Amino acid sequence: MKGNLLTKWRWRECWQGQLWPITLALTLIVACVFALAALVTRVDKVMVDQGRSALGGDLVLVSNQQAISPELLSQASELGLQYSLQTRIRTMAFSDNGMQLVSVKAMQSDFPLRGELVLDPTPINSHASHNTAAFYGHVEPNQLWLAERLFNLLDVKVGDTVAIGDAELTVSGLIAQDPELSFNPFNQMPTVIIHLDDLAKTGASLEGARLSYRAYFKGEDSALKQLQQAPITPSQRWISEQSQGRTAEFLNKAQQYLSLTLLLVLLMASATLVLTSQHYSNTQRDTVAMLKSLGASRSWLKRWLAGQLLMLFGLASTLGLVAGLALEQLLRLPLKDLLPDPLPSIGLIPWLISIGVALLVGLPSMGISLLRLLDTPATAIIQGETKQTKAYWPFALLVLPLLSLVLWFGSNTLMWLTLLGLVLLLILLGGIGLFVTKLLQQKQWGPGITLALSRLNRSKAASIAQLGALTCSLMLLSVIWLLRSDLLDNWQQTLPPDAANVFAINIAPEQVAPYTDQLEQWQLPHSLAYPVIRGRLIQRNDEVLQSSQATQDEAQQSEKDPALRRELNFTWLANLPSHNELVAGEWTSQGGVSVEQEIAKRLSIELGDTLHFSVNSQTFSAKVNSIRAVEWRNMKPNFYFIFSPDVLANLPATWLISYRVEQAQSDLLNQLARDYPTVSVLDLRTMANQIQSLLGQVAWSLTVLASLAVISGLLLVLTLLRLSVSQRQREIKLYRTLGASKKRISATLWAEYGIMAVIAGFCAAIGAQAVIASMVKWGFEMQPQMHWWLFAALPVIAIGLIYIITQSMFKQLLAPLRA
Amino acid sequence: MSDPIIKAEHVVKQVTTSTDSLTILQDVSLQVKAGESLALVGPSGAGKSTLMTLLAGLDVASSGEIYLLGQALSQLDEEARAALRCEHISFVFQSFLLIPTLTARENVMLPFLIKGAKQDEVLANQLLQQVGLAERADHLPSQLSGGEQQRVALARAFISQPKILFADEPTGNLDQQTASRIVELLFQLNREHGTTLVLVTHDPSLAERCDRTLHIAAGKVAE
Repeated sequence: MKGNLLTKWRWRECWQGQLWPITLALTLIVACVFALAALVTRVDKVMVDQGRSALGGDLVLVSNQQAISPELLSQASELGLQYSLQTRIRTMAFSDNGMQLVSVKAMQSDFPLRGELVLDPTPINSHASHNTAAFYGHVEPNQLWLAERLFNLLDVKVGDTVAIGDAELTVSGLIAQDPELSFNPFNQMPTVIIHLDDLAKTGASLEGARLSYRAYFKGEDSALKQLQQAPITPSQRWISEQSQGRTAEFLNKAQQYLSLTLLLVLLMASATLVLTSQHYSNTQRDTVAMLKSLGASRSWLKRWLAGQLLMLFGLASTLGLVAGLALEQLLRLPLKDLLPDPLPSIGLIPWLISIGVALLVGLPSMGISLLRLLDTPATAIIQGETKQTKAYWPFALLVLPLLSLVLWFGSNTLMWLTLLGLVLLLILLGGIGLFVTKLLQQKQWGPGITLALSRLNRSKAASIAQLGALTCSLMLLSVIWLLRSDLLDNWQQTLPPDAANVFAINIAPEQVAPYTDQLEQWQLPHSLAYPVIRGRLIQRNDEVLQSSQATQDEAQQSEKDPALRRELNFTWLANLPSHNELVAGEWTSQGGVSVEQEIAKRLSIELGDTLHFSVNSQTFSAKVNSIRAVEWRNMKPNFYFIFSPDVLANLPATWLISYRVEQAQSDLLNQLARDYPTVSVLDLRTMANQIQSLLGQVAWSLTVLASLAVISGLLLVLTLLRLSVSQRQREIKLYRTLGASKKRISATLWAEYGIMAVIAGFCAAIGAQAVIASMVKWGFEMQPQMHWWLFAALPVIAIGLIYIITQSMFKQLLAPLRA
Repeated sequence: MSDPIIKAEHVVKQVTTSTDSLTILQDVSLQVKAGESLALVGPSGAGKSTLMTLLAGLDVASSGEIYLLGQALSQLDEEARAALRCEHISFVFQSFLLIPTLTARENVMLPFLIKGAKQDEVLANQLLQQVGLAERADHLPSQLSGGEQQRVALARAFISQPKILFADEPTGNLDQQTASRIVELLFQLNREHGTTLVLVTHDPSLAERCDRTLHIAAGKVAE
């Protein structure tokens, strides 16, 4: 029975007493952390899977010149890893009608271990009967699969014989999809796929040939990690999904936003917890003193409070986890297409993290005020307010969460900057607010405002705290919401709905005009035609970067900057393209070259440097006249080096045009392919659509999350105001008892809280601008924008909230004091 | 002659503020016999409440000694004094101090909860009946009037069969009519339970009903 009464008491305290705002705040913490942790776990899995699919395996070892050692492979087997070997070689392919330098991938039948290889034995171009059902996913011995361009370049069809080195093989069909296909529209040499067993027949694998070996591994992450510890030679390197793709970047930014929002939600919920806990312990002082006078020992009180906390925690955790599960479903809804089916299990981590974080945040924010509550002297109840020596040791409870913060953030400067910035802003804004009230006080006002101002100035610490808290929460709300908008805007800009999705390359000079006319006729939006010349950068001023002949072995080359390892695409233009931003220098129309800023930085190229290039063994030089910033993600033709026409115009070039074709216009694309068989068309529609829809989905998730954060912030503001008004309750009731009219009381409340709302709203607008601008610039590396409307919106929102609070409490406030 | 249940010898209480020290009680000596009722009266700030907190063991004297139920309070630490109160002492406060989330009956049973004793609902109901609140046993304090709340507090004070009851301005928050009913009830229960009563009050008529009255002025006691 005894336990029963205690339990009943604690249960009712959670719902009816002063504890429910604490329960609510804690529930919110658990729910948010759980939902986000679960979502991040799943999205992480998707990102890893996508990255690995593009690799063809979980992990790849690339080895130049040197076959992969059997020891390493047997170690992989021992670790339970599956592997597939591939050898690549550049060699000539001959048909009866032509020859072409090709990149041969000699692979085993089990490739790819991840992702999809689609081999089409009946492509349209081969003029054989088209049977879409007969796709192959793996290569078999004696097969030969060609990249689409090769059917034209070699003028062959399925069934014809092509010689790869010394091996004569029959064309089996088209490589419809290679998991390793890069987004690069200037995709090196056309690819040929054969079985590894047939490599020896080509004779190309002789000593001295330029071979590159690859081993693809698949298996447990821990085993992969262990395998990576194995010693490798300088000409070998590991490739994993960390080499990020395009979608990974969006998801990364989204994730960064998620963790930031999570941090802000946690901050706001913790602030609610601290405030409500403090209020709770203030209201419980008399009860504790009474219990002590009735003979409750310290240990009894500790047990009583601990039990109360335990129940509160249990309740909040249960509610929070249920709400978190629901929230995760909601956040996941728009990501349905993106996430694998069936969903990978989220495991134990989100459950543990959410409870752990709630404990870490809850213990100090509630513990400190509750432990101090235990020090309430028994005499407090008889002698009223007695001086109580405040113990400081409960602050030791802060050590654990601070340590965890250090572990969690580690060297994440963005997070630390955010925290530091918030603390500084809070102090600054509190100070500004107080200064403004002081300033206002010097003017003549009506009695209501004068009284309100003097009260704000009188209880300085309380006013600063209240102003600071109100300002800070309004500011955080704006930050979360605006950051989301800025992020989405930026994505929209980098990939607008009308972005090009098809690249046509290898357009012969005489084809440029008719090709463009055709696009015009069909009203397909298209870019300018860019001349493309492939060549190498060989010398910067006097420093030779590489030989003009591409004769170095790959082992030497692999140590160089990737831009020096391969041929680059040059173009020449009369004017710089409008979608490139000039960051230094000036475009000159004579003897100049404009360099992309990242490559300029990597190769230490400066304005005024003379760069030497080689195209087909022909060398020439140009002076760096400008540095450009290039947005590589915008699906527009972009180049590292753009020359003034006089430098390159005389060299033979092919042309490039990008344009947009809707999904339903595929027949136009097919007709272009038929009319211009030598032009290679890179159809990126599927990829662009995927990215667009991914963006849409991620945007939706961010909006749901941001809304949640805003709701939790509003909850904080409401709690704050409610607590503050209820502290005024006695005073207001006294006015009422003394006969103050409803109008007078309303005016007094409005004067005090109205001033506070306007000041806090205004300061929050300043703070939010500053925080968003710095986050956008340094955290997300985007252009900051001004949001002027905040200066009007925030004070209005603050006043609206105060209206709600005072209206809801008015009846209670107007009741005269009893006894 | 039986030993006094409360005995104070040369008790001094000083409080130090940041600037100087203030003597609230000066050399107070008194004795209270078991079953006796004693009123502490005096103007505000005279030291009545302070004396009561010392006699009840809620606070310790700066010097002198207080014996409560034969035990020297200066020899007991806070926990031991709490244990002593738990076993033998009860209180009635000016502001009732009921737990807002517990019903009247549950509030009455609170001392059992602190003691860790069996929740005697029958006894609680009996006491509620005695204070005329049998019908309202399941009501929360917010549903009761001030007088009713103080009656619940009285029931709570007597449920643990205390040897001594300290009452601090028990009618201070009540109107006159309600106050006199509470006073009736307090003395009736006191008689029935044979409890020693120490009462702090401003009300001369209430003080007159006690066996003895001690006047406190400027920290000094006179009978």
